[in-house]
Amino acid sequence: MSTHSKAAKRFVADAERLAWHDRALYAVREKRDRMMATVPEWEDLRRMASEIKLHTLSRLGDYLCEFERNATANGMQVHWAADAAEMNETVWELIRRHGGRRLVKSKSMLAEECGMTPYLEARGVETVESDLGERIMQLLHMPPSHIVLPAIAVRREEVGALFEREMGTEPGNSDPTYLTHAARRALRPKFLEADVSMTGVNFAVASTGALAVCTNEGNADLGTSFANLHIAIMGIEKVIPDMEALGVFTRLLARSGTGQPVTTYTSLYRRPAPGCEIHVILVDNGRSEWLADEAHRNMLKCLRCGACMNTCPVYRRSGGYSYSYFIPGPLGINLGMLRSPKRYHGNVSACSLCYSCSNVCPAMIDLGEQIYEWRQRLDTLGLADPMKKAAVKGLDFVMGGRRRFYGGIAMGRLAEKLPRAVLENGLNPWSTPGRAMPPFAPRSFNAWWKKEMKR
Amino acid sequence: MNSKEKILKRLAGDGMEPRPRPEMDFVPQRFADREQTFVERLEAGGGCAVRMEAGETLDEVIRRLYPEAKSIASTMDEVTSATINPDRVEDPRQLVDVDLGVVRGSFGVAENGAVWIAQEIRHKALYFGATALMIVIPREAIVDTMHEAVVRPEVDDFGYGCFVSGPSKTADIEQALVFGAHGPMSVTVVLR
Ligand code: SF4
Repeated sequence: MSTHSKAAKRFVADAERLAWHDRALYAVREKRDRMMATVPEWEDLRRMASEIKLHTLSRLGDYLCEFERNATANGMQVHWAADAAEMNETVWELIRRHGGRRLVKSKSMLAEECGMTPYLEARGVETVESDLGERIMQLLHMPPSHIVLPAIAVRREEVGALFEREMGTEPGNSDPTYLTHAARRALRPKFLEADVSMTGVNFAVASTGALAVCTNEGNADLGTSFANLHIAIMGIEKVIPDMEALGVFTRLLARSGTGQPVTTYTSLYRRPAPGCEIHVILVDNGRSEWLADEAHRNMLKCLRCGACMNTCPVYRRSGGYSYSYFIPGPLGINLGMLRSPKRYHGNVSACSLCYSCSNVCPAMIDLGEQIYEWRQRLDTLGLADPMKKAAVKGLDFVMGGRRRFYGGIAMGRLAEKLPRAVLENGLNPWSTPGRAMPPFAPRSFNAWWKKEMKR
Repeated sequence: MNSKEKILKRLAGDGMEPRPRPEMDFVPQRFADREQTFVERLEAGGGCAVRMEAGETLDEVIRRLYPEAKSIASTMDEVTSATINPDRVEDPRQLVDVDLGVVRGSFGVAENGAVWIAQEIRHKALYFGATALMIVIPREAIVDTMHEAVVRPEVDDFGYGCFVSGPSKTADIEQALVFGAHGPMSVTVVLR
């Protein structure tokens, strides 16, 4: 059994939570569909997004240098980090030099990727997540289970109990409005007292040296409004050529991810305010090598909208924690394999190959096709599951000859007469706990066809 | 070799063929009534739109919509009801939780109800810290889509700017939509 199916057991055991999770995410997917329907040129936009990203990736070095030049001319300071360790060190060095102790940050998948928060906490920097979902997860001491909806696997009663403990909210009150406003009040002093702010970057515009940051809560912008040091961290694939490109991406991002026409705030940071500093860290951490893998470089087109997770039938029914990479779902399966096939290949089986993710991706990333390709590579990587390999070999033999095939079916019909306990146990790879094996059709399609043709 | 050189060297060796910059080869949507679409989409996102009547003053609009507001911060001359000049405030923290901020925006975007604000006040904290925010834009300044918006001159020269499409919001607790996550609880766009 794959690491994913093993880990999914815990999530699947709570049938009520599973059903809620499945429905809630599909509702987001449906909102996305409704948004798409309001834009007649939707498919043109996706194609344009994909082509702009490919173009940018094919000249990534040039665009990064152009961004650096323009951002520097605007008064920002640009740093380059080859890997996670260098990013963390750069952040720490900036904070240390500034004499900072309290960091307020908005959501950044890159910070998760680099293990930045524990690194800073170990050096005595209080690091506060300001996005509500991220804050809930931070207080629960759990990682986010979705890249855009971090707390999607947490129920309101659990948030109520958490806030009662952490913020002294009324016992038993789990009203979302009440709890959100309690968090607003509790986080106010964190914003005001922070001496350093950090944001991620959605798009870095090379031609103007501006950073685009998109949020709904306004937490990124409130965070950068007081402290006079703003550190922005970004993967090198976040650079885009120019403002025209920004127009294309901002039309797609929120429509695809949360089903809104645009995020509430699309902020552009171009020049630091008087007396303030903006430092941008361009982080590679594997990306330049992934770009050299022709079959999988498309992953670097990703806008991190989350649409592939919302649509994925496996993700919706197994939850983010069933995947062993910190990013779950179709995106995480692929990014995990780029990071380390050895560590993360257990996720590639978490896919029905329905290709829905490929169809909703605003940058037209062939996510499902790539998962299929990884599966084909498992054997050469020496990572194929020996049980599955044996089963496939067996099937290949059975299906390879007419007599063997029909003989096999007859055996199956016989096997069906076996007691349920024999059929529905862990040794039968097709059995699933809580689900009965479907009965065989009374007669084979072939037999039915022959009979119907005679009539 | 420093990290920049290392990264650039790796990128140079990625084996990727140069790809041309694609041309915009399609015509983006247009709206028959841009103002109406703008208003509808802003309101769908929880914002509020007000068309100023002839002869009406901003002070009257403020009194009509925010009768309870005691602390009002604005640098606009027309807002005589302002109690705080935010540019005279040294510490941006003092602008947090003022009842109402009244600011100028440049133009609106019909397709998503967003307004472009290029920061022209001293502390951007007012845009995000005020409990309610009123943004005043010229009535005729509404474009169809983001394609036009991002190439406007107002989006070319600025230090900090933001497309705002309604009040701060979150759905992080069970996907239930709540306004006023960290920023303004309400946003009104005044078309004048
Ligand atoms: S192709 Fe696989 S990963 Fe993609 S949506 Fe379908 S099941 Fe999920």
